[in-house]
Amino acid sequence: MELFFQQIVSGISIGAVYSLLAVGYALVYSVYNFTNWAFDAFMAFGAFMAFYAISLFFMPFWAAALISIVLTIVLSVGSERLAYRPLRLRKAPRLFMMISAMGANLMIVNLLNLIFGGSFRRFPVDAAKPFFIGNVSIGRMDLLAGAISFAILALLWWFLYRTKPGLGVRASSIDIMTASLMGVNNDAVAFIIFAVTGALSSVAGVFYGIKYAVFPYMGLVTIKAMIASIVGGLGSLPGAVVGSLILGVLETLVAGYISSTYRDLFSFLFLVIILLFFPNGLMGKSGDEKL
Amino acid sequence: MGYINAIIILGGINVIAALGVAILTGYTGLFSIGHAGFMALGGYMCAIMVMEFNVPFAIALLIGGTFAGLCSFIIGYPAFRSRLRGDYFAIATLGFSEAIRLVLNNTYEVVGGAFGYMGMSTLTTLPVILIAVALALYFAHMFVTSQYGKNCIAVSQDEVAAQMMGVNLLRTKLIALFISAFYAGVAGGLLGFYMAYLSPSFFSITRSSDLLAAVVFGGIQSLIGPFITAFVLIAVPELLRFFAEWRLVVYGLLFVVVMLFRPQGLLGYVEMNFAFARRWWSKLTAKKDASAKGGAA
Repeated sequence: MELFFQQIVSGISIGAVYSLLAVGYALVYSVYNFTNWAFDAFMAFGAFMAFYAISLFFMPFWAAALISIVLTIVLSVGSERLAYRPLRLRKAPRLFMMISAMGANLMIVNLLNLIFGGSFRRFPVDAAKPFFIGNVSIGRMDLLAGAISFAILALLWWFLYRTKPGLGVRASSIDIMTASLMGVNNDAVAFIIFAVTGALSSVAGVFYGIKYAVFPYMGLVTIKAMIASIVGGLGSLPGAVVGSLILGVLETLVAGYISSTYRDLFSFLFLVIILLFFPNGLMGKSGDEKL
Repeated sequence: MGYINAIIILGGINVIAALGVAILTGYTGLFSIGHAGFMALGGYMCAIMVMEFNVPFAIALLIGGTFAGLCSFIIGYPAFRSRLRGDYFAIATLGFSEAIRLVLNNTYEVVGGAFGYMGMSTLTTLPVILIAVALALYFAHMFVTSQYGKNCIAVSQDEVAAQMMGVNLLRTKLIALFISAFYAGVAGGLLGFYMAYLSPSFFSITRSSDLLAAVVFGGIQSLIGPFITAFVLIAVPELLRFFAEWRLVVYGLLFVVVMLFRPQGLLGYVEMNFAFARRWWSKLTAKKDASAKGGAA
């Protein structure tokens, strides 16, 4: 029974990290109608920056995380300026945006691979000391990752639903043209969205790096965030969070009780099953393309 | 000579797989970043057919391709039925190919796990590859100019409009996916019997990116463009070894640059045809006729 609770807590904490990524995808998608494929590269970039800030410059953890967030925001906003904005202004088809984003992803991930090498690095943070509630031991980093992720999600919710710039972002997600006619600054919205998603990916990268390892292809885990957002319901932010938590818990249970090798296979099977029986996800209204 | 041979054979294999991606991505507008998975399925199936059941190579290739095509329905049917957005279909293909690689890496019984499937002979020779590429190009051309191909183009342009004109979206997409996976499967079989062994590491995400790169650079709605670039993308890193490492970084940069400055790719919307040859031939014969007439007069 203790083991079961440990698995649940660990699952929720990894689910919370997935939800940061899933929300990031959903945010970009809801406004610009394309998936930011470079997102997984940002995640790996953020993890690498934090890793080197600690291991080369001996910074404390929070300072390293802050530096990683700032640098990832610069990368995210920069990539929007260079790779997406010209296409957006030209009203290019979505296919082109997708290819451009994939290009950014390929370039950044492989640059990381060439510059830093492809080896797996252990994050230099003492995550081993567990924390006891009764007989249930909980990794301190699991707890920290879960708590901070939920705090960030709450902050994001507050920003989107309780502030004026957040209102601008939500208006743009309904109709970007009309919103700009009503005086919403499109460029400011783009800046906000890419800055926010950059920060989210960096935090997710750092926590994922602590839990597993830091390596250039670590961004592949964003497949899980995608699966989670499909499971939860397309394009819905709460759906993305719920889907991520379900996936995280399911995955840790599979790894704990069935097979850790085939964990990823189970997440994929889960996606196929959900699509067969709930084509619109658990909380989504309709998966149809927007007209 | 052997070196040139190797480049032509590997290039030809890449061309066949890229033609499959061209049908799916270029013509139907569906993105796949997991075609390496279909290559793996076809390759292993073909190898098992030849090695364990003594099926002739050509038939085994077709079986491998068909197997890959049928497996593609595992993701194709749920993804297209629920009308997933193109981006999510791409993720599904990536997940599928990673899942296949995971299973192959951990199944030691028949396929040899991470060590790979060994003991195969080299059956893919230069004539085989030339015939295979010619057939692949011919059938791809027949497909994209057929009614099915036109349906695919309609779907890629505007799904809703295509549906209103009576195009069955699910069926069209599934057909395109089947053919595309079939091509990848055949390419996988050819690859296995050229290298004389198969390993899960052949079919990593890098290979999928290579195939996608060939189609993006070659141009959408074109067969001849991806045909050329798929070959060039194999030949260039082979000839310029120092470039091999930086290849993917440069591809990534080129993706962005191509989209910004020449989004249709090298030969986008340019269809391969032999009209120029026919024109040239008719001009030639016309001249002869004219001179013959002139001589008579």
